[in-house]
Amino acid sequence: MAIYIYDGSFDGFLTCVYNHYYENKAANITVEENYADNFLETSIKIATDSVKAEKVYSAIEEKISVFDLKKIYRVFMSSEEKKEMYLLEYIVLGFSIGNKISMFHSNDTVKRIESINHKINREIERMLGLVRFKELKSGIFYGKIETDHDILEFIAEHFAKRLNDETFIIHDKKRNKAVVCQNEKWYITSMIIEDSDKNLEVIDKEKETQNLWKEYFKRISIEERKNLRCQKNMMPSRYWLNLTEMHQ
Amino acid sequence: MNNVMKKLQILADSAKYDVSCSSSGSSGREKNKIGSTHISGICHTWSADGRCVSLLKILFTNKCVYDCEYCVNRKSGEVERESFEPEELAKLTIEFYKRNYIEGLFLSSAVEISPDYTGERILQCLKILREKYGFAGYIHAKIIPGLSSELVYQIGLVADRLSVNIELPTEAGLKKLAPQKKIENILKPMKQITTSMVEQKSLKGPGTMFNGINVNKEIEERLKIGDNSEYLITENIGGGYGSALVSESGMKRKFAPAGQTTQMIIGATGETDWQIVMASEKLYHNFIMKRVYFSAYIPINSTSLLPSVFTAPPLIREHRLYQADWLLRFYGFKADEILDMHNPNLSLDMDPKAAWALRNIKKFPMEVNKVSFEDLLKIPGIGQISAKRIIRQRMVGAINYEDLKKMGVVLKRARFFITCKGKYYGGKDIVEETVKGQILLQEKIKSKIILPTDGYQISMFQNN
Repeated sequence: MAIYIYDGSFDGFLTCVYNHYYENKAANITVEENYADNFLETSIKIATDSVKAEKVYSAIEEKISVFDLKKIYRVFMSSEEKKEMYLLEYIVLGFSIGNKISMFHSNDTVKRIESINHKINREIERMLGLVRFKELKSGIFYGKIETDHDILEFIAEHFAKRLNDETFIIHDKKRNKAVVCQNEKWYITSMIIEDSDKNLEVIDKEKETQNLWKEYFKRISIEERKNLRCQKNMMPSRYWLNLTEMHQ
Repeated sequence: MNNVMKKLQILADSAKYDVSCSSSGSSGREKNKIGSTHISGICHTWSADGRCVSLLKILFTNKCVYDCEYCVNRKSGEVERESFEPEELAKLTIEFYKRNYIEGLFLSSAVEISPDYTGERILQCLKILREKYGFAGYIHAKIIPGLSSELVYQIGLVADRLSVNIELPTEAGLKKLAPQKKIENILKPMKQITTSMVEQKSLKGPGTMFNGINVNKEIEERLKIGDNSEYLITENIGGGYGSALVSESGMKRKFAPAGQTTQMIIGATGETDWQIVMASEKLYHNFIMKRVYFSAYIPINSTSLLPSVFTAPPLIREHRLYQADWLLRFYGFKADEILDMHNPNLSLDMDPKAAWALRNIKKFPMEVNKVSFEDLLKIPGIGQISAKRIIRQRMVGAINYEDLKKMGVVLKRARFFITCKGKYYGGKDIVEETVKGQILLQEKIKSKIILPTDGYQISMFQNN
């Protein structure tokens, strides 16, 4: 048994799974930043190996299912602290029972992955609605998000289809990365930019459109049915920072 | 633009009583310069009343020739009046859409000059959106009673969803409160919309109500034999206009790909819940509506015909009606199972499924490891999702009582109605009074935590 330390990439994680089967068993899998070295545990640095990773990748695809592979990847992109070990457990179980694994709703390993997957899916779904763009002087539509999980690449395709005639950037301020899209083609890149940056100056009419939206938002609510708790439940306040209409 | 601000204020303000804000059910509209539709719809924000905002819900005009008692924009009402220009509203929609504020437009309207005059301006606006701006997002257009069938058809070709408000659940109610709106004028466009969808074979039932049934074929048959059931009226109006299905660019256009819905006002007239639920069942069966919406009457006009302005809107009743509606659409219940002559109103203290189960206590307890999917759905505390999970899990092994919770079953409710591996967990024995007492206690606790006026929320995934 040993503590695995890897680089935080998906390929790196899959390499860990490979090593778990063919070398030392993993007692824990973690990234360097989160690991405090001590004398009681053996730790091994796992170098990402794309050949090994590829093998595990196709093994999951063949022995479990494509459906589960996608789920495993999504859960990997979550901010769940112990996701690596949870996933390892899931994969080990999956290799032994195959594509039926997701039918075992009462199994704790399955249920844990299910519930993390549910959380991240929920955030993806929410963000499809909650991204707010503004039109920059350069003609680019810019939207800033600060999500719980790393979901940029799961929402990119939706917006690529939706704004197919526009160039847009969705900036994940928390993770200093962004999706850039033009003509429906998109890529993920690192991005560090301050709100005050000159490149983020908006067109003259932007404020006007924002005010129209804020006004609409106010008007559409029925006073007799006011229910702020319900509103907050549906749209948690941690997202409000980047929501135009919540800044009256 | 200040002008637009003024119009937005007035025309959004009076559109807010329309319930539907759904942007779901549409897919595969031809691609265009901007926009897409998402099959299950997307919520973009939630207003202070907790309702999801998905569409720019607005009136085209609030200048009205009708004088309906319940309506804030009735002719004799003293409110400021405004009308959009078609271009103005199209532009506003696009600007909102690009910023991801909305999924599209929900355009309703008062009747300015005449139904056709207003209808033409609405059509013009929607055409600008689709053609000039190349908008492929969601459009829900409300059809004004009395609109000519040509215009209904043309609007259907640019909109995703159409709706004609039934307004009140009975003809008598309509006569009393909206004497200028004739029931024929409401049913005629409804039927036309259904017929047009049958012609292009795109009719799809609500929820799981018509699973396994080819509704297009069934309605076609019904039309052939001239079924004169109450709502499917006698006069034969074809969807017709088949050639218009191909647009100038030679592209095939779909008529109302997201189907049709309707809405009725609750609590303005004296109808019982039984009448309301029966009316919605009929609307689902005869027109294959995607949804029937209810709107709790909010007193706005002082008239002796209506509840006074000091009456609180019947929000709990509305909530119970939505639960009943869910039972119709997703749980395989029939209207006369939910209510009948002897029980004409839904219990405000208890959800309709629990009430049904108590009336039919002899059918319980049911063994979760044995009963069919349809029966699982009838157990209080088990919903669509947990029923599906139970069925899947059963394929790989028997279910233990402890498993049920992990599968999303609401045990504190369900335990009175089930056995698991033959064992009953609801106490000594299944006794109607005891179970009823327990359920009422739970509901009471719930209503203490959430104040009645606070309880409004249409949950998509309620587990009962």
